[in-house]
Amino acid sequence: MSGGRRLGRKLLGSTATVLFVLALNFFLFRVLPGDPARAGLADPRLSAESVAKIRERFGLDLPVVNGIESLRPLRFGSLWTDPRETQAARYLSNLLRGELGISYHTNRPVAELLGERLWNTLLLLAAGQLLALAAGVALGAWAAARSGSRGDRLAVLGGLTAWSLPSFWLAMILLFLGSQFFGLPLGGRATPALDGGPLLRALDLARHLVLPTITLAIVSFGEYLLVTRSALVDVLSSDFVLVARAKGLSSGEVVRRHALPAAALPIVTLAGLNLGLVVAGAVQVEMVFSWPGLGAAMLDAVARRDYPVLQGVFLLLAVSVVLANLAVELLYPHLDPRTRRS
Amino acid sequence: MSTPTAQRLAAERRQVRIGAALLVVAAVAALAAPLLGPAAPDRPLTTGDVFAPPSARHWLGTDDAGTDVLIELLWGARVSLLVGLVASVISVAVGGGVGLVAGFAGGRTESLLMRLTDVALVLPALPLAIVLVAVTRPGLASLILVIGLVTWPGTARLVRSQTLAVKERAFVRRARSLGSSETRTLMVHVLPQVLPLIAANGALVVSQAILAESTLSFLGLGDAELPSWGRMLSFALARGALSAGAWWALVAPGAAIVAVVLGATLVGFGLEQTTAAATRRNLLAVGSPRATHGRGRRDAEAGSAAAELSVRDLTIEYPGPAAEPVRAVDGVSFDLRSGEILGLVGESGCGKTTVLMSLLGLLPEGARVAAGSIRLGGRELVGLGERELAAIRWREISLVYQGAMNALNPVRTVGSQIREAILRQSELQTAELVALRVRELLERVGIAASRAGSFPHELSGGMRQRAVIAMALACSPRVLLADEPTTALDVLVQAQILDLLRELRDELGLSVVLVTHDLGVVAEMCDRVVVMYGGTVAETASVDDLFHRPRHPYTQALLAAFPDLDRPAEVLRTIPGAPPRLDPPPPGCRFAARCALAVERCRHEAPELRALVPGQRVSCHLAEP
Repeated sequence: MSGGRRLGRKLLGSTATVLFVLALNFFLFRVLPGDPARAGLADPRLSAESVAKIRERFGLDLPVVNGIESLRPLRFGSLWTDPRETQAARYLSNLLRGELGISYHTNRPVAELLGERLWNTLLLLAAGQLLALAAGVALGAWAAARSGSRGDRLAVLGGLTAWSLPSFWLAMILLFLGSQFFGLPLGGRATPALDGGPLLRALDLARHLVLPTITLAIVSFGEYLLVTRSALVDVLSSDFVLVARAKGLSSGEVVRRHALPAAALPIVTLAGLNLGLVVAGAVQVEMVFSWPGLGAAMLDAVARRDYPVLQGVFLLLAVSVVLANLAVELLYPHLDPRTRRS
Repeated sequence: MSTPTAQRLAAERRQVRIGAALLVVAAVAALAAPLLGPAAPDRPLTTGDVFAPPSARHWLGTDDAGTDVLIELLWGARVSLLVGLVASVISVAVGGGVGLVAGFAGGRTESLLMRLTDVALVLPALPLAIVLVAVTRPGLASLILVIGLVTWPGTARLVRSQTLAVKERAFVRRARSLGSSETRTLMVHVLPQVLPLIAANGALVVSQAILAESTLSFLGLGDAELPSWGRMLSFALARGALSAGAWWALVAPGAAIVAVVLGATLVGFGLEQTTAAATRRNLLAVGSPRATHGRGRRDAEAGSAAAELSVRDLTIEYPGPAAEPVRAVDGVSFDLRSGEILGLVGESGCGKTTVLMSLLGLLPEGARVAAGSIRLGGRELVGLGERELAAIRWREISLVYQGAMNALNPVRTVGSQIREAILRQSELQTAELVALRVRELLERVGIAASRAGSFPHELSGGMRQRAVIAMALACSPRVLLADEPTTALDVLVQAQILDLLRELRDELGLSVVLVTHDLGVVAEMCDRVVVMYGGTVAETASVDDLFHRPRHPYTQALLAAFPDLDRPAEVLRTIPGAPPRLDPPPPGCRFAARCALAVERCRHEAPELRALVPGQRVSCHLAEP
């Protein structure tokens, strides 16, 4: 398959995924029980009239799409209403303008709410992933070079154990150890009411980042180790490895100059696919460390049945993972000339 | 002693057993739970005993509700295992079904199903599960269903690629061409081949499912009524186990999760590895063979002074499946004279490639030179260390390896791989000089210098082989080893490559060892020939003597099996039987079992390599001058 067709297929797939997420977001949350008027706390003072008013404010009085008046309860309506005056049209046009609706709970625009959260999550992920990638690839290559040896078996066992750790539990254990023995903060992003210059604040942020970052790094490390090792073990059975040895290259040189570049493709592909898992880890870590990121926002939204926020977070996470996968796909030709268009 | 592959296989089996043992312990715990007492809500709470440390009464202490942690733990095993197994069955049934059908049906069905899978694969599973669980009623059934539904795409992808591979195998194609129905072919021929992989994947999904269950329960999205490990942790954390220092309430459930997940992972990972183990070899592990000298006699006739390379009594052993090592090469002696092309011929498995690689000090993992000597221009190579060998490799002895596609690294340009070889030489170090040398080498073998920036897949088979030869010449070696340099090339290209090698020999004064099983190549290229059989030398002779006066019955049989253009009418005879096993080798002549002329003596007494006429040596009791 030529590179162009491959990319085209991938683009199509990404678009399909995003459309699927949009549809899921739109319909699922309209089939569900739940209501802006009852989100957060059930207010006994609300009359039927004010409930209707609130529904109107969120656009829930409009027909869902042409032909369907409402999904819960299911009521069919006229096919010939103005297509612009439907919930579907509003949803899409809002999305195009970068609006994700209004939070039921806080009445703030969801996009604004999630904007700051997104940066916090990215900050958390970036540091942990870089650490995990570096350590995982290095140890994975070390193990593959002596595959079958005792050291290799220990490394694999270590990788499998790291892979089997529940992120939330590891987070708790590290939180316990870190706060008891190393005086690290119990959670959050910054020490409240901290006076001091930007340097002191940056230092404070770093102290808050230490434990969550280590947690995420350990959890991803196992996966990178195992993937690197198995990709390298495959490559190391190729004839060109023998030829490189015959050239007089040492085993270390052969791994660095020949085997790792040839194994980069499967490693990077899996790293891309793993982003979904990484996001999952972030959700748990944010909860344990009360880190104000997207994952924490998602869990709060679940607890309060704040559907616009839940929809917004899910859309943001799904689209990020899709885009990251697409980016990995665009990297392919640089990693493996065979996937380049000839 | 056993082979590295067998050791690996044993280690992987042990891994599976350890994993299975962990799961069995968890299953026993789950079954034993009612013996110790009912789960939390049905047992009177021991109030005042909140977060009590481990004691004789409560082996693992009590939790935030004053409940015995051990009893809760055992009940939790039930939930974990149940969710893990059922969700895995759902996931494997859906994913396996999709993958099997997609791979087998092909065409539009396949592309539709795989596009669906691709869409599902990139959806972040946990957020999706959170959304789905949040909107359905939290409970065990919905939990299981959701976990099953978010884990199937991985299985589908894996099973499809395996199905594609199986579908193309001969027996499946035969079944189809014999009129077996599609469903029958799928169920009877394809499914059993894919099943081991599905099982391995199933075990991995179990581990993912258990992890997902505990995570969702921890996040408060599980069934709050059920005693699960995730719930234990969730409550313990929420009720301040951290600040209370009640590590037991946190460590025990977490360790239980890790043990069960690790158990399932070990089983799955181990199974996956054992299915692939047979084909893996670690070529990085080739290296200077450990040598033990002093065994075997020194050859009476010392290597001639004119010899570039002189091999005497070379004996190489591999660890084999049996206790006795496999003696792949046994007492091989030959000389490579300066400027000659020496053919090394024999059936596959006769030890010719092993001999060739030993000349570079590159024997496979575990193999060793048990006796003998290899002298390069008077210098002993056997027993040299890795560093000393690295200095000899490519500068003095270089290699044209078989199968040009795999001899070059697919992700690096041809030029960079030649450059790397040149840089082994200390004299040329400026970038311009090296680049000049790359151009010169490429042009010398008939490749336009502009192709230095090409990747191997952009060249034709013949061009790739030329590039491999250019690389071999990079350090101006004196000895060139060529291992089946023309296999997988078409006849015309084959002839061009052989011409090139001969030209280079004449021009550069190279001495060449040419390993081949093709007597046509031997006739055309070689000055002298070493015929190997079962790890020993059967006969050495000049090409002329070999083709016209073969003295060993094996050489005669080889020639009879080779078509001769001059006498087309003659019937070709194949050699009945197969080469002998070498662990241990048969006591007498190794060819005796297949030799039409063999007498009693041949089966008991190994013949020595005797010089019958000048320049021709035969190891056969019956051969006469």
